[in-house]
Amino acid sequence: MTGAQKRSIRQGLISGAIVIYLGLVGMLVAFDARAIVTGILNFATVLIAITYGGFAYLSGNRGKHGAPAQPALIAGTITGAVAGATVGVFTLVVNFLTETLGWNVRNMFTSINNALLEFFTFGQSPVVGALLMVMFGLVAGLVSGSLHLMSTTNRKVVVMGLTASVFGALGAPLFKVMLDGLNIPNRWLFERDGLTLIGAITLFVVFAAARMGSLRVGGPRQALLKVPGTTEKNLRWVITALALFGIAILPWIVNDFVSDVLGFVGLYILLGLGLNIVVGFAGLLDLGYVAFYAVGAYSVALLTARSSILVGGAVTSPAVAAYTNFWVAIPITIVIAVLIGVAIGAPVLRLRGDYLAIVTLGFGEIIRTLVLSDWLKSTFGGPQGLTEVTSAPFFGLNTRDPQILYYLIYAFAGFALFISYRLKTSRVGRAWAAMREDEDIAEGMGVSVIKYKLLAFATGAAVGSLGGAFFAAKLSVANPGSFTLLVSINVLAVVVLGGIGSIPGVVVGSLVLVGLPELLREFGEFRLHIYGAILIAIMILKPEGLIPDKRRALELHQSDHQPEKSVLSAAATEGVQ
Amino acid sequence: MTTSSSTASRYRLFLERFPVRKFVLILLAIVIAYGAAAGSIATLQLGRFSSEVWINLFISGVARGSVYAIIALGYTLVYGILFIINFAHGEVFMAGAFTAYFVAVGLDSAGMLASSPIISIALLFLVSSVVSMTVAILLERIAYRPLRGAPRLVPLITAIGASLFLQYTFRGFYGANARAYPTIPAIQGTWNILGYDFQKVHVISILGAVALWLVLYWIVERTRVGRAMRAVGEDREIAALMGVDVDRTIVFTFAVGGALAGAAGILYVFLFNQVHFFMGFFPGIKAFTAAVLGGIGSITGAALGGLILGILETVGPNLFLDGAGVPSPNQLIPIVAFGILVLVLIFLPGGFLGAPEDKRA
Repeated sequence: MTGAQKRSIRQGLISGAIVIYLGLVGMLVAFDARAIVTGILNFATVLIAITYGGFAYLSGNRGKHGAPAQPALIAGTITGAVAGATVGVFTLVVNFLTETLGWNVRNMFTSINNALLEFFTFGQSPVVGALLMVMFGLVAGLVSGSLHLMSTTNRKVVVMGLTASVFGALGAPLFKVMLDGLNIPNRWLFERDGLTLIGAITLFVVFAAARMGSLRVGGPRQALLKVPGTTEKNLRWVITALALFGIAILPWIVNDFVSDVLGFVGLYILLGLGLNIVVGFAGLLDLGYVAFYAVGAYSVALLTARSSILVGGAVTSPAVAAYTNFWVAIPITIVIAVLIGVAIGAPVLRLRGDYLAIVTLGFGEIIRTLVLSDWLKSTFGGPQGLTEVTSAPFFGLNTRDPQILYYLIYAFAGFALFISYRLKTSRVGRAWAAMREDEDIAEGMGVSVIKYKLLAFATGAAVGSLGGAFFAAKLSVANPGSFTLLVSINVLAVVVLGGIGSIPGVVVGSLVLVGLPELLREFGEFRLHIYGAILIAIMILKPEGLIPDKRRALELHQSDHQPEKSVLSAAATEGVQ
Repeated sequence: MTTSSSTASRYRLFLERFPVRKFVLILLAIVIAYGAAAGSIATLQLGRFSSEVWINLFISGVARGSVYAIIALGYTLVYGILFIINFAHGEVFMAGAFTAYFVAVGLDSAGMLASSPIISIALLFLVSSVVSMTVAILLERIAYRPLRGAPRLVPLITAIGASLFLQYTFRGFYGANARAYPTIPAIQGTWNILGYDFQKVHVISILGAVALWLVLYWIVERTRVGRAMRAVGEDREIAALMGVDVDRTIVFTFAVGGALAGAAGILYVFLFNQVHFFMGFFPGIKAFTAAVLGGIGSITGAALGGLILGILETVGPNLFLDGAGVPSPNQLIPIVAFGILVLVLIFLPGGFLGAPEDKRA
């Protein structure tokens, strides 16, 4: 057997194992309920086809020395068939264990149920099902292997069309609501939660054609610049204006639920921008960012709430209560957050990066434990928290209404966006960049490292506390359950996915990681699972994120010049991963 | 002009001679020491707990601390060789204990737990260690190896992702419910040693941890692969030039750390009787605290740090806070661990037995 064949087989085994894994954690059964083309194709089937096909495509890649190791079609077919066979063997083994030996595998693996087995065997008997699975893998491998035979342009066009159809279908519930809101007939396009067959074909053709057109003129930007009278500058203005207009009308074309989700996205944009200042600009990994979110929420609650607390069987009001207005509370909250940020930051800023991360995590947990304790219950209300936080009064409008609150949140998010941009290119931003690239050299050049680190902490704290303030005003409660470590990690995931240090990245990260899972119920359950996978995958494959910040991207790729990494990238192209 | 600059420089001189930060830290130390002392005296004067209770708290602290110590070894080993914080180590620990639960249930329904406890316990340790080891090796291969030589924060972010990913993987595998381990009759009850009744599980956990620690010490200090580990930790390139297979040594380090975590998982289950997909997170962070407390990179330090942390956790809140009139002091246990972590890193960044932080690469 040649090395290339071994590689194809290995890729097949890996992709088969991934599919089994997806089944074992329950994703496949959950995603089987989500239609891509209603009545014909479900997302779970697409997912395993993508897994098989993706690895089959990789195994058809050229070998280490640039020469085609073996015909791409054969490589793809081998990989796909091996992958299918792996899954087939798995179903046979499960069947043997349950039917012949009488073990109840389900007692251990809760996700191995009839639905999963039915999915893996296409509803046939185990042996027939296993054979069908091999066929399925073989076809998926053959098809994706054949992508190698196309020209690069054609391949890009086909992949674009397929991607558009899948994402169009996944976003169907949202798009449908939007089209309904705009009174555009869409019954021909969407059916229940998926696309119609005609819809899928239409999306494929439209996006493939658009991609083809834009490739021909060298990208969408170039295409727009070809229109007479457009220059770089006014194009940017038009795009900004369109984006603002889109954001402004969005709540009115979607329903309350989607507005609510968008409000959450806005909160995460705020939090993400705050953390981006700390992690992205100053290069300090803060894993206790939720502390500032909590500080914001609890400060606003203490300053405005009319809550009652049960202490020792008697109902009292909190030990500290001011009963002020939301807008009076906001500046006070920011001051408190800045003070706490400095107080947390000052003693630990001399620590090296990874220690700093764990210590901030510790501070976050300390704050949560204190708020939760009986000891401080008379102030913070213990596990139940503080209730009846007043909403933000705004010209007599009901700001609990998600469509109104949306504007408030996005106004503040826009403000934070503006501040971020201004800070980044300012003297402060340059000092941060210098510090993050090499602390010692920055100090030698006269940058007061401690001062700028504290400034980063304080700014991040202020922005994060704003997020917390709106969170409390939105839900009218502040309770410890909302301020777990997971929030810190979610915000970190938002920043990392978009690109560490990248401001538009935060917006995109929030939309993808916060918006999508809320809208796609089936994903919601696996949200944290997927976050974890994203954090790993991004750091390994594209550490600069989806929308890279140029300077940061350079820093993150510095290590590429080191020998170890080059060994690794050789391994990666060889497909060992 | 000259006067203003000279006042500025005088001010700077003053700062250098009397650094504000140092004063604040000393003040902080005095306040904490005073608080702890005053609280302890008040508690002891109240006399709510008998000496028997204190001894029991102490022993359960030692037992808990020895589990932390064994988990901490995993952090210390990996840190000593790769200089990364394997944040997902707590999940490696969880994986073994959670998987072994199903073996325990199987043994229980076959009546083996009652009839041949030694074999069943050995089997539990074996399964748990093997599973944890496998997870640790996969973790290294998938999440850490591709990132060697990347900026320091990058593997830490991956580790956080891996931690989350592993938690939810096992949640998907085995379900979201907490599950109670079947009881092993042979290790229930107490032994009377020197006139005091000690819970058997405490004694077994402590002895088990000591045995595991000795095995590890022997591996690192006396075997060929242990020497390779120390060499790679010292200088990876030179070690490679001297003929050490660096990749293999790193995998071995993860494997040993994982196996220890799996064994610690069973000891933990003896003490706490419950498994859950999130069970690894806090013990993981506490073990990290223990490793830092003892001096990360030091094997003896991990044991020392674990014991101190365990004892402070069980004895501390009752001793320091009860007398100060804090209601339900045991709610504040997490603050003990994190508070110690923060204080150690501020006052003694190298831990008790480690090199001072600045000296490290």
